[in-house]
Amino acid sequence: MKNLWTEFFWGIITVETRGKGIERLINTLTRNGIIIWNVKRHGSESVTFKIKLDDVKKIRGAVKDSDCKIRFLRRSGMPFLFKRLLKNSGFIIGAFTFLLVIFILSNMVWGIEIKGADPETEHKIRKELDEMGVKKGKVQFFLENVEAIQRRLTDNIVAITWVGVELKGTTYHLQVVEKNEPDKPELLSPRDLVAKKKGVIVDMFVEEGQPKVNIHDHVKQGQLLVSGVIGKEGQTEIVPAKGEVYAETWYITKVTQPLKSTFHVLNGNEKQKHFIEIGKWQIPVWGFGKADYKEFETETNTKDFHFLKWKLPISYTNTTIREREQEVRIYSNEEAFDAAIIRARNDIKGRLSENAKIKGEKVLHKSVDDGKVSISIHFQIIENIAEAKPLIQGETE
Amino acid sequence: MAKKWGQFIRKWMTTNMELPQDVMMDLPRITMIGQIHIYIENHRGLIAFSDKELRLLLKQGQLLIKGKSFVIKTILPEEILLEGKIDQVTYISE
Repeated sequence: MKNLWTEFFWGIITVETRGKGIERLINTLTRNGIIIWNVKRHGSESVTFKIKLDDVKKIRGAVKDSDCKIRFLRRSGMPFLFKRLLKNSGFIIGAFTFLLVIFILSNMVWGIEIKGADPETEHKIRKELDEMGVKKGKVQFFLENVEAIQRRLTDNIVAITWVGVELKGTTYHLQVVEKNEPDKPELLSPRDLVAKKKGVIVDMFVEEGQPKVNIHDHVKQGQLLVSGVIGKEGQTEIVPAKGEVYAETWYITKVTQPLKSTFHVLNGNEKQKHFIEIGKWQIPVWGFGKADYKEFETETNTKDFHFLKWKLPISYTNTTIREREQEVRIYSNEEAFDAAIIRARNDIKGRLSENAKIKGEKVLHKSVDDGKVSISIHFQIIENIAEAKPLIQGETE
Repeated sequence: MAKKWGQFIRKWMTTNMELPQDVMMDLPRITMIGQIHIYIENHRGLIAFSDKELRLLLKQGQLLIKGKSFVIKTILPEEILLEGKIDQVTYISE
């Protein structure tokens, strides 16, 4: 016997017949190949049964020849369901529009909160964000990712040291650390200033305390420069010594520079690939085929979609594959020396504090050996050598 | 005479060749599931149907089924599946 549930897809019609000889009619219908089911008797003159939608045309001829009258009672199944759906399409369109609107709104920027910045810096940050397009009401998908925003803000705004950008739902939270935070008044304990390194004093600026050395004096490491004990004999007072003592100091730096160096450069060939990720599946959308680069770097950018507060398992990924080439640079001896000197300078600058100056430099030794240039350079540096050393109360009277 | 001769041959074949009788002799095959379903193959059409009674034409005679709340689940030219509460099944030979 056939399964009748498949008829649901093609449409089912409930037919009511009235009159005499209903049994005969049913016999003729079945002999004509019409499938009839759920035959029920209602009272003496009425029978209902179900037929397929396709058989409606076939039934008419048979009915004409009989003494019965038929009436179609109920239409069910997919075709009618579909018809009703079309009739009520407004509701469905409304529902979809509603979801769409919520989806779009969930992916917009609804707020930018900046914490830790004074009004001036905040204004600058907002201006910079505006330029980047990060504004209220923008769609997140078209904005740069959080890391890029962070990098650009740190690069372009001088006043901030660090900014943490975080995207929480529809709001950007920016945590700013400013460079010029007002100095807290230091509470200094009584102290001396002593030499951090050996050197020759070139300049002194003493705010408080008793200077113990003069310009052109040669000082050793740990030697007392400014004493925290002031006043005449017998009437001494202990203060925190404050001041800067600039001295010429000496450094020797050794640098080796290979004559031949290899490094990687990007040669400009690149391939873009776009994917839509659904769960774990990556569906390529554009940019097919493999990039046949020998060496390459890959950069991946992923953008998520949200619905209300939830992250949808769908995201868009853009992958850029850039070809990389190895380049070999060969220095002549002269060029290698120059490069080595520059490296030595950078090296020494990195080791000194900001207000130190290079007064002079002298190459002590050069050698080329085994494909490498080695030099040692003697630097004369002017820097602040004052270092605090706390005065212990018991030691002075 | 010829008809009876044919009948005889058929009967002889079914008994001696172990062929199913409903195929050979055009008899109805009736399957019942408890009281609730009855499935009849090899009928020759409806004669009467109400919710208490179903009368079917057979090749020889009629089949009368009595019971309560009958619904014909499916009807095909030679098959019928009836649902309801079946009380009795009777053969009426003319």
